[in-house]
Amino acid sequence: MESNSPKRRKLDHAHKGPTFETVASSSMGASGSSAFVLETDELLKEVKLDYSSTFPGLDQTLRQFKEAIESLEQYGPIPIDEASKSWGKTTRTAIPYPDPKPTKNCPYKVAFEKPTHINVVGSYTSQTMVKSQSSFAVDMIVVMPTTLFSEKDYRDYRYFYKRAFFLAYITDALRKKFSDLDFVYTNLNGNALLPVLVSRPQGQSSESQNTESKELLGKPNYEIRIIPNAPEGYFPAAKLSAASNSLRRNSSEEAKDTNVPTPFYNNTLKSESQFVPYLKLLHRTSTTCASFKDACILGRTWLQQRGFGGDVADGGFGHFHWAVLMALLLQTGGRKGEPILSPSLHASQLFKATLQYLASSNLHKKTVILGQTTVAPEVVRQTGPVLYDSARGINILFNMTTWSAFMLNEHAKLSLSAINDPQVDQFDSLFISKVNQPLQIFDLFVKISVPPPTSQTSSSVSDGKSPIVVFAEEIYKTLKKALGERAKLINIQIPKSPAWKVTPSSTKPKNENILVGIMCDPAKASQGREFGPLYEQKKDAAKFREFWGDIAELWQFPSGEIVESVNWTEFSPLGYFGICQAIVRYIVTSRLKLTDGDLEFHGQEFSNIISLSPADKASFDAVKAAFSVFEKDVRDLEDLPLSVKQIAPIGAETRYASLRSPSPNRRRQGATPIDVMLSFEASGKWPENIASIQRAKTALLLQIGRSLEVAKAGIKTHLGLEDGEHETGNLAFLDIVYESGFSFRLRVHSDQEETLLERQTKDQTLDRYVRTEAAVLLSSARWKSAILPLHSQTISTYCTRFPALSSSIRLTKHWFNAHRLGNHFNEPLIELFVLQAFLKPHPFPVPSSTSTGFLRTLLMLASYDWREEPMIVDPSDSLSASQRLDISTRLEAWRKIDANMNRTTLFVATPFDATGVAYTQNIPKVIATRMTTLARSASKAAKDKGIELEPRTLFQSGLRDYDVVIHLSAKAIKGVLREDGTRHSQFKNLDESGSSEALPLPEPPVLALLRRLNLAYATPLLFFHGGPEDTVIAALWNPQIHDRGFSANMPSSFKPANTDADTFELNREAVLAEIARIGGDLIEKIDVKDSQR
Amino acid sequence: MANNSAVSEEFSTLPISIPALPSYPVPATHYVYLRRNAPKIATPDDSRSLYLANVPVDSTEAHFRALFSSLVGAGRFESITFEHDRKSVKISHEPAQAERLAKHHKKRKREEEELQHKKEEAAAELPDTWTRELHRSGSSAIALLADEKSVDSVLKAVKRLKKSKTYPIWGEGVKSGVPTFGSQWLKAHNKLSYPGNDAVQAMVDAYFTVFNRKEEEAQQLAKRLRNEPDEDGFVMVTRGSRNAPARRDEAEEAKQKMLDRQQKKKDEMQDFYRFQLREKRKADQLELLKRFDEDRKKVQAMREKRGKFRPEA
Repeated sequence: MESNSPKRRKLDHAHKGPTFETVASSSMGASGSSAFVLETDELLKEVKLDYSSTFPGLDQTLRQFKEAIESLEQYGPIPIDEASKSWGKTTRTAIPYPDPKPTKNCPYKVAFEKPTHINVVGSYTSQTMVKSQSSFAVDMIVVMPTTLFSEKDYRDYRYFYKRAFFLAYITDALRKKFSDLDFVYTNLNGNALLPVLVSRPQGQSSESQNTESKELLGKPNYEIRIIPNAPEGYFPAAKLSAASNSLRRNSSEEAKDTNVPTPFYNNTLKSESQFVPYLKLLHRTSTTCASFKDACILGRTWLQQRGFGGDVADGGFGHFHWAVLMALLLQTGGRKGEPILSPSLHASQLFKATLQYLASSNLHKKTVILGQTTVAPEVVRQTGPVLYDSARGINILFNMTTWSAFMLNEHAKLSLSAINDPQVDQFDSLFISKVNQPLQIFDLFVKISVPPPTSQTSSSVSDGKSPIVVFAEEIYKTLKKALGERAKLINIQIPKSPAWKVTPSSTKPKNENILVGIMCDPAKASQGREFGPLYEQKKDAAKFREFWGDIAELWQFPSGEIVESVNWTEFSPLGYFGICQAIVRYIVTSRLKLTDGDLEFHGQEFSNIISLSPADKASFDAVKAAFSVFEKDVRDLEDLPLSVKQIAPIGAETRYASLRSPSPNRRRQGATPIDVMLSFEASGKWPENIASIQRAKTALLLQIGRSLEVAKAGIKTHLGLEDGEHETGNLAFLDIVYESGFSFRLRVHSDQEETLLERQTKDQTLDRYVRTEAAVLLSSARWKSAILPLHSQTISTYCTRFPALSSSIRLTKHWFNAHRLGNHFNEPLIELFVLQAFLKPHPFPVPSSTSTGFLRTLLMLASYDWREEPMIVDPSDSLSASQRLDISTRLEAWRKIDANMNRTTLFVATPFDATGVAYTQNIPKVIATRMTTLARSASKAAKDKGIELEPRTLFQSGLRDYDVVIHLSAKAIKGVLREDGTRHSQFKNLDESGSSEALPLPEPPVLALLRRLNLAYATPLLFFHGGPEDTVIAALWNPQIHDRGFSANMPSSFKPANTDADTFELNREAVLAEIARIGGDLIEKIDVKDSQR
Repeated sequence: MANNSAVSEEFSTLPISIPALPSYPVPATHYVYLRRNAPKIATPDDSRSLYLANVPVDSTEAHFRALFSSLVGAGRFESITFEHDRKSVKISHEPAQAERLAKHHKKRKREEEELQHKKEEAAAELPDTWTRELHRSGSSAIALLADEKSVDSVLKAVKRLKKSKTYPIWGEGVKSGVPTFGSQWLKAHNKLSYPGNDAVQAMVDAYFTVFNRKEEEAQQLAKRLRNEPDEDGFVMVTRGSRNAPARRDEAEEAKQKMLDRQQKKKDEMQDFYRFQLREKRKADQLELLKRFDEDRKKVQAMREKRGKFRPEA
């Protein structure tokens, strides 16, 4: 490696593809990179451990251990049978033999001899532990002397039996000597062949799974693992290649081909003698590369946030593998064996480059060999990921599962894309957010209970792997093949192998479950029919038939081609979710001999909450079609005085986003029509007075209505009056009801009005209140005419791009309503929230289902820092850096004038609204805070409970928090909608002719009532209400209304206080009595919180 | 609930007991504060009117008629005007030009003509969409009584109430005809929101008759004022002369064009001289330094907040 001077390397790289330097420099060029370096420095400072204070007295304990072990006398050799019988009995110490246990009449002997050396290895010595680890393991290796073994001991578990006895002997001695420590056995990295001894200071939880339970302050939370090791280079490496078989015993019994390779067994055995070489490698690297340790810590944090660990249950890729990979890449890895990384790089650059390597090396697909090798690739190749370290001759990923290699690759890719996206806060997504949350990633979960390992077959092919891993691998292979492109990612979570007691005890086999998480590709997964190979390709077709069994059938395309296929169309009405579920159920039960009872599906519950169905898309499409008919009808009108510029739909129904799927006119109910905005080409015909413009708009609407009714049969128009406050606001709308189909509500926008209003807001000669009023009117006009049409277009576009967006939006809206926040958040804002969760999914993949889309939105809302960060929703990346800067500056300005965030709490900017406040008007701070709190508790529940989460609980909202709860009578509300007799004309015959048709509703009754109440009691009460169906209006008293002295203009109804003559207090009873009078028969009951006076 | 002392010298407290309703069976007392009306700008009716603060949200004229007759007997109350009444807020419907001219020229008014115009304007009013208005909580009203004496007697009666402790009851003695709240109210609103296309057409027509008439009047006035010096000898410039001033949008267009031209000129001369390039480089460097500084500050701020650098558990 010395020959590679930095300069030389640079030249070498000049004509090669993208390497670390381009990665590093490209991200250096981006805006946030220097911040990223600074942030990683801070992170390193924060997570680094103070070893002496974290592990008080640990060094001493280690020394004592060493001395104790070294002082042990030689024992044996005794026959293995005798050892397990008599020695175990007398000492009351169990010998942790791996499965299968040695047979009764085994001829070989076990013994204990003084170890050749004892060493502390791992991250304790390299000082790469971090604070956020759930527990700290200090690895102590005990190298067994060669005299214990004979040459053939690599075969048939013999080495492992001897090792087990060796360990038991040490255990027995230590256990008796150190009574203040707890001792248990556990499997090293979940590898059933390698039991190790774990000792912990007493008082800690003994179960390794429970170590996450918050570390008690001051109590040391560490464990010492004693790992017996094989002498270096004792066993012949050639006999232990991935292609050779070392388990003769099994194969001879089965009388099969004796050369079934046992790569896992071989690798395990090889790894037994590699602790010291790797220790040396890491140590050497950390001396040559100054930032190696820091980069290791970064890697460790990154892996830990993604749930990766050395244990096979954690994926089998831990910080050790990260460190070794990086150390190897500092030496080699390039195409000609030149190093990929340079020792002069900064820790964050090392980290990024390693990530880049992980993303591009495709460990899950191909065999990767690092270093000059003499062995043929076939010798190295095996199922599962391979990263072959040729210097030491071992596949360092032998304990890694295929699915976790996929996951690792996916995460590396996602993180890289986050790094390369200058608009994302790279740092948080890389190191801070906890990514290991299955509910946030996967769409469909299958919990499979593992059948008890009965048959001999499992152990014969297992080559030493624990049966549960073998089972999981089988499931993975089957599902991967069955789902094909339908699944983007499949991950299997297997339970960790538990620790067990050092004293002999019978262990009951527990019923264990594995959890399969599937991330679907909604577009591909909803395909109803699975197509296989051509019928003519006999070999492939036979394989296909063999795999699918009886349900495989032939299918002829119109072109005449005949292919094998499987029909799942009967599940199509259930959406891609139903199809995937059916496939999993079928294939697992048919091929793996599991019963339906062994499977438990999760994930669909979220869609069931508001009964989303795949058919909704059709009804949304119907609305869009109906709208284009309507648009054409209006454009075809010839007798309009102005020419139509744009007819834009602004209702949520036309952008796939309304809570309920739209349905054509319901005659009886009086449906709410779809909002449409009509703007005309600029014209000088508008009068130059705002109030008159409003009348002119009314006249235009009337004319459109008349012409439409004439032009087309089956159209009824009704002019409605707006419930406005001012003559200068919009006065009227036109409801256009298509006899068979949807109805539309048309409003007209006038450019002239906008310019007049703008002039008013700037006119210093006018009174202040006139100007503020004009500003309010102006913003509402802009909202309707400029922002909403663009917003609708955007959402509608992205709903087709992200198949899960529409349903996620609808579920999120339901969530806001369920918590009675719906009346404060306008629907477009909620849509933007969800869209943002889809556009900036880092560190997760883009949501692919309702549940992930919804939960990810909540996760984003839960942690959003509204004070500092403007939310910039920029779907097409159309905002320039300077525009973004402007938006941030604007937010800063808001925060400066209103530091308590009383007026502008949320700040959401889009390319079509750079002001940032158009969407978030009138959202009080209380409401914003409540939203954050609710989102936070929901995200926490999702994180803690995992798939046990009952989704309905996220949508349940109590009434305890509110001061006042107004219960409305559902019956009376229905009564408002019902037709009453008064409208009927006195001529009977006119009634018959259909004149008594229900008019559309200007507003749902509860909302109308709420609006009125809000106008009257805007100051004293804050109302909570969710959606037109909610029959409860809750309210809080405004805490800022204090008792006060008398003034003629009180903010609400006040009464003289009992105690003091000059102070007045809010007359709560009178206010509530007023509400009761206003509500009349609509209000069933008004409940007041008890703590009130 | 006794109020033992006068609220202030000026205001006296009028407690009104509110009958309990089944939906909210809690007896409540509402307090209206009243005094003689003394607005800043005096009107002829001030002496016989009362200023009422904190009127109930659901007040109507009928309610106050009943209330006053229970206090001082029938026939004393004339009418009541509520604050923020929609009708009371005057909004100009004058065409812009008429408004401008009105500042300079007082129009002579003829009474019968005025009356006719009022009628026309009334026909152009859009109907209410609610059968009964709500007032903002804590808002005020001005009650007009028959004469000065009635005001005195009302104030006296209010004082008497304090002793007798029997308060008038809200809504008692209200003649029928006050629209009810609740579902009927909402139902009526739904209906009133759709007055019928023909009815609205008639109103709009009436409105534009008035509007066009005003516009015409303004035009005639402008014509008359054209080239006619006033008493100081100034001639007012009005629209409609031979060379009318440019329209506003044309003016804006012209301005935009000019700005564009200026911008183009400026752009052409950039990066031309060496000193410009040098300055630019310098500025870039400064910018870079500034950004680095900003980043450091940001990280500093994050550290102060703490926990930002701790990976989530």
